[in-house]
Amino acid sequence: MIAFLVRRVLSSVPTLVGISLLTFAVLNLLPNDPIQVWSGGGYYSAEAVEHLRSELRLQQGPAARYASWGLALLRGDLGRSMRDGRPVARVIASALPWTLLLNLCSVILIYGVAVPFGLFGASSPGSIADRLGRALLILLYAVPSFAAALLLQQWFAVRLGWLPLQGVPDRAATAAGTTVALARHLLLPTVCLALSGWALVARYARAAFRSALGREFLAVARAKGLSRLRASGHVVANTAVPFITLLATIVPGLAGGSVIVEQIFSLPGVGRLYLTSIEARDYPVVVGLTLLSAVLVLAGHLLVDVLYLVVDPRIRSGLLDESTDAA
Amino acid sequence: MRPRSLSGILFTLLAAAVLSACTSSSPPKVGAVPGASEYGGRFVYPLRTEPATLNFVTASDQPADLVSRLVGDSLVDRDVDLNVVPRLAESWEFSGAGRVLTFHLRPGVRFHDGHPLTSADVKYTYERVIDPKNHALGRLDGFLPVESLETPDDRTVRVVYRFPYAPALSAWEMPILPRHLYEKEDFLTSRFNRAPIGSGPFRFVSWEPGRRIVLASNPDYWGGRPYVDTLELQFIPTQETTLMALLAGEIDYASLTPVQWDAYTRDPAFTRRFATVSYLSLFFYYIAWRADGSNPFFSDPEVRRAMALALDREEYVRAVLHGLGQVSSSLFHPAILPADPESRPLRHDPQAAAALLDHAGWRLDPETGLRRKNGAPFRFTLLIFSGGEDHAQFSQVAQESLRRLGIDMRIERLDWPALWARLQKGDFEAALSGTVPAGDPDDVVYGMLHSSQIRGGRNYAGFHDPEIDAWLEEGRRAIDPQARSACYRRIAKRVEELQPYTYLFFPKVLAALSRRVTGVAPSPRGLIVQYPGVIRLKIRQQPGG
Repeated sequence: MIAFLVRRVLSSVPTLVGISLLTFAVLNLLPNDPIQVWSGGGYYSAEAVEHLRSELRLQQGPAARYASWGLALLRGDLGRSMRDGRPVARVIASALPWTLLLNLCSVILIYGVAVPFGLFGASSPGSIADRLGRALLILLYAVPSFAAALLLQQWFAVRLGWLPLQGVPDRAATAAGTTVALARHLLLPTVCLALSGWALVARYARAAFRSALGREFLAVARAKGLSRLRASGHVVANTAVPFITLLATIVPGLAGGSVIVEQIFSLPGVGRLYLTSIEARDYPVVVGLTLLSAVLVLAGHLLVDVLYLVVDPRIRSGLLDESTDAA
Repeated sequence: MRPRSLSGILFTLLAAAVLSACTSSSPPKVGAVPGASEYGGRFVYPLRTEPATLNFVTASDQPADLVSRLVGDSLVDRDVDLNVVPRLAESWEFSGAGRVLTFHLRPGVRFHDGHPLTSADVKYTYERVIDPKNHALGRLDGFLPVESLETPDDRTVRVVYRFPYAPALSAWEMPILPRHLYEKEDFLTSRFNRAPIGSGPFRFVSWEPGRRIVLASNPDYWGGRPYVDTLELQFIPTQETTLMALLAGEIDYASLTPVQWDAYTRDPAFTRRFATVSYLSLFFYYIAWRADGSNPFFSDPEVRRAMALALDREEYVRAVLHGLGQVSSSLFHPAILPADPESRPLRHDPQAAAALLDHAGWRLDPETGLRRKNGAPFRFTLLIFSGGEDHAQFSQVAQESLRRLGIDMRIERLDWPALWARLQKGDFEAALSGTVPAGDPDDVVYGMLHSSQIRGGRNYAGFHDPEIDAWLEEGRRAIDPQARSACYRRIAKRVEELQPYTYLFFPKVLAALSRRVTGVAPSPRGLIVQYPGVIRLKIRQQPGG
């Protein structure tokens, strides 16, 4: 088991190096000129450019920049943002909590609604309620998030004035006050992010529950006198695997940020940071963010593998056999 | 500084601007509720983008410029009508046939930390600009002609220029840095770059990344305490959210698109709560025709004139901008140099355009419907900025007008760094772009037209005309305002003939302002980029206002 984990972790190192190299290369292929960065898009003369010639000569080429960036990374230093000079780790750390919080809330909202929905659909398949519910979710899935965001803002913030329109709240005097203010600010963006997830997870859950409910072992278990509750425990155990697989896609998404939702609701999260950093060709931040999401994708897969081992004895014996074979 | 898009410039400009002479609804009334204090309140203003730094010298983006002007204090500034007015400098005079500029600083001015501001701070700030290590590209221009800067005493700054330099004062709109604080730190990474200390009307309070910058009024400001207690600059990245935030009462100002303008100015519920304002900004659009002979079309002034006659700028302003703009009649904004009554700007005239093209040898090939000269078809590519819908709309209208004349114009959309790189290299045939002049007629115009600016500068057209070169130099040295104006009139007239750039139009800035806000005066550079401007802004202390 330990050997398997070590092998998995080590095998992701070349992937990370490759991702950083690729990101770096792509950013450096884009047109990028220090004069343009220094000018801020404004006016300057040929004489002013000439005045800065000595500084231009000091600019490193892409290969040298990658080398110094890589060396710094080995020391645990992600470098400094070219745009505002702050350490990249600090820039990302200031955006990450918002994105994590927002996405965590939306995952909870997605699962909290979709799993019961799926279970209901699976227990009464083909009923009118089941069909209507599915149609509704598909409809919500089809609404583009920017349109949903604008509609939600228009209704709940502008017309009704129940919720704040955008941004994040001030810290209140009490912890409870802060939580309430935060919840009010995050409600609309969370719903917006959840809209498209509901249909996906509900369909997934419905299919998984249906196949489990129809399985013979359930009938046998019930026939042998197992209570409904204990039988449903078996159902959950048997549907766990597909849900864990789904988790692999959710974990990296937690920190990925949603550009559109963060833009429209003016949330200072990772998605917005990504966008402004790419526009500014701020490669230390972009590479830092890319590495972060790469690490999360790999971590997500690792987590899933481990969970498989935990919940499913069949997979456990299969994987461990394979790893002892390899060793 | 960060690369900024054209639309970014325009948007910040839109956001930076309030109120105008041509208000369409009644302007907000000055004066507070009787008995209530005139001081107090919070003004919340949206910014589309976030500054990269708040160092007054290295700041080059518009949000940073805005904050610098509030927290910092410059020797001079420009008023509502773009006239140069005193700020830290009580007075100044030119001597030595226009080569020496002497400033007399106001007595008793202190930085926000209580330290007195002296001529040494002015000298220190100037030295930071010209130090190449600081990459202060945007500030360098006005300071490169400086030969020496002396500080005979604490309150006198004597600047000696290498030649008489008429636009000299513009550069001194630069806020002054506190030497005693920066001296102890690394200039480019100093903590004061994110928490600036100046001597301006507002003190810096906080900068929450991705969220807002908060400023508080400086009660000890030499020019009097500003009426507003708190000035909050909120970062709201999208136009739609900005408008809804205004409607929801979260902010006090929002720019509007022409479509929104049409809808909202007719809505009494809206105009009851908000004053709608519109005015001509300094921003203008132009097309640069690459005239250096690298393509067979645009080195011929007749062809460039034909292009100007072919483009239906009036129709564009009417149909797409809903009439909310003005076709440029000269390369100068009317506030910078009033239009010449004798000038005859080229107007849409496709027949005259066709005649000029025929005369230049570009004859219509009846088979393909395209014009040809020596067998080569009239087919070129216009580069445009991909981030602005208005750029795309105008180029499509232009494409159609040119197609009718037998010219095949392709459109290529590029993001701003890519477009900038192509312009800089001269690697294009025609390009649609835009720019904002600062206030002096020399500004932008010298860079776009003087032949010394072809390599490394902003003369993207690669345009070279000895007469215009000479007049541009004369305009820089002419200290007499009348002679200067005459000089720029001559330049405007010749540019109209030669059309190295076709000036398209000035779009109007359209905005709505909460009726709680009073006491603001209009300027082509906006509410904040003018002096005293925002110091006089008041918030009505009455609920429901």
